[in-house]
Amino acid sequence: MEGAKAQASGIPVTRGDFARLDYFEDLQERYLSIEGLEARWHTIEALSLGDDHDKFMRLHHLVSLTRAVEETLDSAFRSGHIPGTAFFGRGNEAASVASASCLEDEEWLIPMHRNCGSHLAKGHPAASIMAHFFGRAGGPSAGRDGNFHMGYHPKKITGLISHIGTTVPIASGAAWAEKIRGTDRAVLAYIGDGGTSAGDFHEGINLAAVKQLPLVVIVDNNQYAYKTLPKEQFACDSIILKAPGYGIPGYLIDGTNALLMHKICGDALDHARSGGGPTLIESVTMRITGHSVYDKFTDYVDIEMHSKWAEERDPIKQLDVYLLKNKIATTDEIGESHARARKEAEKARDEALKSPFPDPRTITDGVYAP
Amino acid sequence: MSQITYREAISAALWDEMERDENVFLLGEDIGFGGGAFYITKGFQEHFGQDRVADVPLSEAGFTGAAIGAALNGMRPVVEFQFADFVTESFKMIIDFAAGNHYRNNGPVPLVLRLPAAALVSAGPFHSQNPEPWFFTTPGLKIVAPATAYDAKGMLKSAIRDNNPVIYLEYKKFYNYPLDDLPEALRLDVPEEDYTVPLGVARVLREGEEISLVTFGTTVLEALEAADVLAREGVEVEVIDLRSIFPFDKGAILESVKKTGKLLVLHEARKRGGVAGEFASIAAEEAFEYLDAPIRRVGAIDTPIPLSPPLEKAYLPGTDEVIGVLRELAAY
Repeated sequence: MEGAKAQASGIPVTRGDFARLDYFEDLQERYLSIEGLEARWHTIEALSLGDDHDKFMRLHHLVSLTRAVEETLDSAFRSGHIPGTAFFGRGNEAASVASASCLEDEEWLIPMHRNCGSHLAKGHPAASIMAHFFGRAGGPSAGRDGNFHMGYHPKKITGLISHIGTTVPIASGAAWAEKIRGTDRAVLAYIGDGGTSAGDFHEGINLAAVKQLPLVVIVDNNQYAYKTLPKEQFACDSIILKAPGYGIPGYLIDGTNALLMHKICGDALDHARSGGGPTLIESVTMRITGHSVYDKFTDYVDIEMHSKWAEERDPIKQLDVYLLKNKIATTDEIGESHARARKEAEKARDEALKSPFPDPRTITDGVYAP
Repeated sequence: MSQITYREAISAALWDEMERDENVFLLGEDIGFGGGAFYITKGFQEHFGQDRVADVPLSEAGFTGAAIGAALNGMRPVVEFQFADFVTESFKMIIDFAAGNHYRNNGPVPLVLRLPAAALVSAGPFHSQNPEPWFFTTPGLKIVAPATAYDAKGMLKSAIRDNNPVIYLEYKKFYNYPLDDLPEALRLDVPEEDYTVPLGVARVLREGEEISLVTFGTTVLEALEAADVLAREGVEVEVIDLRSIFPFDKGAILESVKKTGKLLVLHEARKRGGVAGEFASIAAEEAFEYLDAPIRRVGAIDTPIPLSPPLEKAYLPGTDEVIGVLRELAAY
């Protein structure tokens, strides 16, 4: 509570210093009197998973699989199997998996480029993801695009483009379709801390708020937009402070905590499904990797601080500890879950590498839909 | 069968398609409560409700993106831009997201973007533009430009039923054009019953043996007027309304050029970078041996669109200019 004390004694909060692990307490002091805002940090409570052992293990396995898939892809890149570039979400695995696993099969997911876990949780097969990264015919874009620029329409996952911010209006529209049809389905979308500066973020959220659309937008504040820090990106202390401006609820949460994300995102989706309109969730994580595989991030990050996050706030380690401490899983079960994830990722890689490269004669196929 | 205005034809197509398919919905600024800047959707909201005739916040990129998202999720949105010029706000959504989505993600984007285009009495630099050159280089988009009430209705129905993003250019100049003042070739009966006009098929507005005049949009008026003058001088000009800019009716252009041996391509948009360059090139590449004269192009001059009447008149391609070029071609 050092931060809270600092605030009480009149020392101003350093703007956007999310890297400080006690930053959250400062914000809590300052802003939680604003109606509709809520922040959760360092606590796992009121879990919507209940004590269902299988549900916990499924979540654990998906979080572990996400890391295994990304590590396998990273080494495949080093071996020359990935044309172009690759982006990974190390540090964001829990937030991706825990949020997307709250969606029903018929609900749309609008991912960004660090949401490998969301793809996996929504049912996009790892081998298909990898074939996409490898530029193979068996990937969902059959070699037309690469890295995490991919959609998977069979599982209701949209594609994304490099123009950051565009996901939010797209998501509003997908949610609008549900409202017009009068269903009780909601839509889940992601954007980054950098993306909140884009005009599209504003236009998309505002439309969703005005039309009361069934939408949950998660801002993955991983504290870097390529090399730019949050304090250079926005001048308020937290992105959820924008939520009251749009007239919608906002949550600030620890995005390294899978169970907390599962609870908060699940509640927000239920709120949307029952006609309550959109919710903004700021999920604070730390990008424990470069922007892309080409980014030598060690020359601009605070390595000591990074190591601290990797050590103390690793989402997978936290989940392991929680499951053990609460006697939900044994050491053997957790070890088995991790081993199975690695094996699955390797099997997916081998399968993807067997997929042929696209035939140049197919280059004009599908420019227009029939 | 009846004679209705171009504006009434667009309204009728929208109304019919909304009655026919509950996935069709309209969004745009001021279209619901206000009936739209040009009253295309007057009375729609009372009948179809606020969900299907939706006013949106002033946010072209946002509502275009939302239309794409709704299209991905099974709807058939029709977006009204207040003026075609404002579509620049939405470029990334159209060009980068919508146009290539089926190619990249195997997901169709059935979407119609209605753009009230072209000049109309001193509307100025930001309410007068012809946007087709901006989109013409992008695969995955269709671009249509009906010039008659018959085509406006039939092509809008086709566009709404198409599974691709369609840029539907509609001409403010034609909205309320007095029926009695229209040339005979443009005054077509419009059926009340359902019909469609396929996208990509040209219409011969006037047959002729000596010069092919290929055009679309507002300049069908100048083309027909100029052809009348040339006819009185004993030169028969064939006037072709492309109707659809992409896909375009290459066969119709080549067939006509092979018959006449002379080609003029005319449009209201600026000559530099205008789509006439593509049509002229195709004729040069594929019908060279049939040509008896250099291919000519007429379009607006190379400036922004000025507002004051004498400047605007000087900017736009006029009938006199078209007549002059046709005479040169006839004499060549």
